[in-house]
Amino acid sequence: MTPQGRILGIGPTDNTSDQRTPRQRLRLIPEQARSSFVPVVPARFITRSHEWDMTRTAPDRPRAAGVPIEVTGTVRTQSGRPLANALLEIWSANHYGRYRHVEDHSGLKLDENHLGLGRVLTDEDGRYKFWAISPGAYLARPDIGRWRPKHIHMSISGGSSRLITQMYFPDEPNNAADPMAILMGGAFERNIGKPRDVAGADVDEAFDFDIVMGGRNATFFE
Amino acid sequence: MSDAASNLLAPTNEDTCGPYFPIYFADPALEDLTRVDPGLVGQAAGTPIILRGRVLDRHGELANGAILEFWQANAKGLYRTPETEGHPDIDPWFHGYGRLRSASGAYEFKTILPGATDGRAPHITITIFSDGISRIVTQMFFSDHAGNDADPVLQSVGDDAPKLIARHDGRTASGAEVYVFDIIMAGAGETPFFDDLES
Ligand SMILES: [Fe+3]
Repeated sequence: MTPQGRILGIGPTDNTSDQRTPRQRLRLIPEQARSSFVPVVPARFITRSHEWDMTRTAPDRPRAAGVPIEVTGTVRTQSGRPLANALLEIWSANHYGRYRHVEDHSGLKLDENHLGLGRVLTDEDGRYKFWAISPGAYLARPDIGRWRPKHIHMSISGGSSRLITQMYFPDEPNNAADPMAILMGGAFERNIGKPRDVAGADVDEAFDFDIVMGGRNATFFE
Repeated sequence: MSDAASNLLAPTNEDTCGPYFPIYFADPALEDLTRVDPGLVGQAAGTPIILRGRVLDRHGELANGAILEFWQANAKGLYRTPETEGHPDIDPWFHGYGRLRSASGAYEFKTILPGATDGRAPHITITIFSDGISRIVTQMFFSDHAGNDADPVLQSVGDDAPKLIARHDGRTASGAEVYVFDIIMAGAGETPFFDDLES
């Protein structure tokens, strides 16, 4: 079977997806050019040591409103090799569903103890850990009453790995109607954090979210 | 999937970065690859260039909040990867990976002109993230470069090749060559994008 490039799906009820999704089938990369499409992100990262705890703006500040959670997992390639020293950039809405971002004009409540921004590196075994406030869902399409379910955004980079994804939460009523979840179909469950015992951590809920880097990242080191 | 195998793990789904990718994560060192840090002695070898353009949606409107990532070879045409470590043509002051976030959808990236090598014309790979889409990837070239006609990527897109070639637009007072490259995400004049999962 001759391989063909994918045709990207358009998220239903998502105007931006309609405006921005390429309509043409993606082109196949000629073999001689394959390696030029594999960026290698240098390990030249900025992280601040307290950024793993997104439940406060700084270690000496009070906890933000809402449910503090712990998220842990391992970042691996598809062949199972753990990715050490990968950078996770994490961002999420506060308890009320508001981002502390100049372009969030929702008018939802801000929380003076919440930034919703964090950066952590994976350890030698590819493991990561951060704390966050369980984010609020927000109304993405007021005209049709369509919500974005609770989610935490994550960007993973380092070496030849690159992924921007979101962690969703189990049994959320808004998951089923989310345009991105619909596009993922049955694979959506891979993007849902798995609840686990908090195991003594100073949080109310804990989730495991193992990340597998697909595609091009496999080409360089394996 | 072409992974006919497989004991491969199922990949985590890519997802849109949404409209609120944190500006807080911006790193000026990744928006100007001509120098490692403004306060350090150490300059990338080669011709400084400014690559600028717009990211447009299918209605011709600017795609606000776009993240652009750039990946390119150094002035001698060598990519900095684990495989080229220790190669004499590696430029210690150039790593080749850049990133910026454009609030408006218009962008400007400072770098050096990548060299030609291995049957490839000079090129820069651009990855675009934005609200409404997952990662999309393309590769841009430079107008009037002799090697363009024989480049396998330009050849592979046939009549769409001009859509991947940046237009030269003079030189700044400080001596940087200016190139203009618009990215049309969808619709009429759509930029060719490449599939790095299926290829
Ligand atoms: Fe979001």
